[in-house]
Amino acid sequence: MNAPEALTELIAALRCLPGVGPRSAQRMTYHLLQHDRGGAARLARALDVALGRLTHCARCNNFSETELCARCASSQRDAGQLCIVETPADLNRVEQTHLYHGLYYCLMGRIAPLRGVGPKELQFDKLIARACDGQVREVILATNFTNEGETTAHFLAERLRAHGLAVSRIARGLPVGGELEHADTGTIAQAFQARQPVV
Amino acid sequence: MSRARASVIDAERGFVLHLTPFRETSLIAELFTREHGRVSAVARGARRPQSKLRGTLMEFQPLELAWFGQGEVKTLARAEWLGGQALLSGRALLYGYYLSELLLNFVAREDAHPGLFDAYERTMARLAAGELSPAVLRIFEHALLREAGHAPAFDRVPGGGLIRPDRQYALLPEQGLVDVSHVGAHDDSYPGSVLLAIAADDYSAADTRRHGMRIMRNLIDRQLGDKALHSRRLFQELLQA
Repeated sequence: MNAPEALTELIAALRCLPGVGPRSAQRMTYHLLQHDRGGAARLARALDVALGRLTHCARCNNFSETELCARCASSQRDAGQLCIVETPADLNRVEQTHLYHGLYYCLMGRIAPLRGVGPKELQFDKLIARACDGQVREVILATNFTNEGETTAHFLAERLRAHGLAVSRIARGLPVGGELEHADTGTIAQAFQARQPVV
Repeated sequence: MSRARASVIDAERGFVLHLTPFRETSLIAELFTREHGRVSAVARGARRPQSKLRGTLMEFQPLELAWFGQGEVKTLARAEWLGGQALLSGRALLYGYYLSELLLNFVAREDAHPGLFDAYERTMARLAAGELSPAVLRIFEHALLREAGHAPAFDRVPGGGLIRPDRQYALLPEQGLVDVSHVGAHDDSYPGSVLLAIAADDYSAADTRRHGMRIMRNLIDRQLGDKALHSRRLFQELLQA
C-alpha cells in the first residue's frame, strides 16, 4: 500500500535541506506530524512569511525586509569602509568582533570555476556600483581563505583597484592562541609566506 | 597504464583536483595521484571546524595521501602536506582550475599516468613560483593530449615522414597532420616550423605561441564535443573586464 501523498510530499520537500537524505527527511516528517504539530505550523508560517517578505538589501545584498537593511540605513556606521564577505553567516562573525564599524557587501557565494560560478553569477557589477558610491574609501576583502575565496578576492581586487579604490585583504596565518606545535602544516606555511616586519 | 586493484594505499603522492561537499561534514575529493591516477575518496569530517584536513586538503598543493576501499569511491585515511612550494595566488589560481578541469575531463578513474603526473607537478611548481606564461599551459596541454592519445606527433606525418619547416600542414580529425598540398587550402592548418617548435615544447617564438594556443584548443575541443570548459569561460570573463 502506498503512503498518503501529503506524507511523501513532505518527506520529499524536506530533502531540499543541505545534508538531509531520505532517512533524515522521514524522521523529521514523523517528528513534526506526531510530536510537534505546533512546531510544524510555526515552521510553515515562518517559511511562508520569509519567502514573501525577505528581499536583498539594495546596498549590502544581505537579506532584508526593507529596501535598505537597518545596518545600511544606520548613521552610526562608517560609510567609508566596505567589507566584502561570502555569506550572511560570515558577516555575522565579523560583527561579533565589535571592532568593525563600516558597512558590508554580501556576495552570497564565491567564484567556483569548476562549477561555472563566475562574475556574472555573483553580480560583480552590482558590487562595483555599490563600492563606487563616492563615499567608500577602503574596500576590505573578507572572503574565505580557500582557493575559491582567494580567486574571488584576487579578481575583485583587480576590478576595484581599476576604479581607483583602496583595497585590503584580511590577514591570514596562525589563529589567536594558536601554538605552532598544534597548527596544521598548511597554516604554518602560509604564516611564513605572509610574515610581516615587526614594528 | 596499469590497473590498480589494491584496497589499502598507504602513502601516495597526489594532488586534489576538486572538492565537493558530501553529507553534513564530509567532502568528496577528486584526487590525481602518481601511481593510481585519478581517485575519488570521501574525506570524512573534513568540513568540521576543527578538522585537521581543513588546512591540508586543498587544491594545487603536493600531498601524501592514504586511502582504502574497494568501491569506486574510496575512503581517505590520511592527507599530509608535502609542501615545498608556495600557495597559488592571483591569476595562477585560474590556471590551476583550468588544469584541474582538463584532468577531470581527460583522465579516467584509476588509470595510472605517472609521466602526466610528473608534468602536472612540474606545472604546479612553475605556477606557484609565479611563472604565468601561456607556454606553461601549452606544455601541459601537450603532455595531457599525448598521454590520452589525442595529439598527433608534431614532428612527423602519419606515414612516418618528418615535418618540414618550410611546408604548411592541415590538422585533419582522422589522419592527423597532412601536407596542405595534398588536401588543398584548409582552415585548420599550421606552418611546419611552428609544429616542430611545439613538438620540442619551445614557445620562444611569437608565432608558436599564437598557433600553439589554437592547435591545442582545437584538439581539446574536438575531444570535448559540445561540452564547454567552465574555467575557460571564466578566464575570458575575468580577464576581459
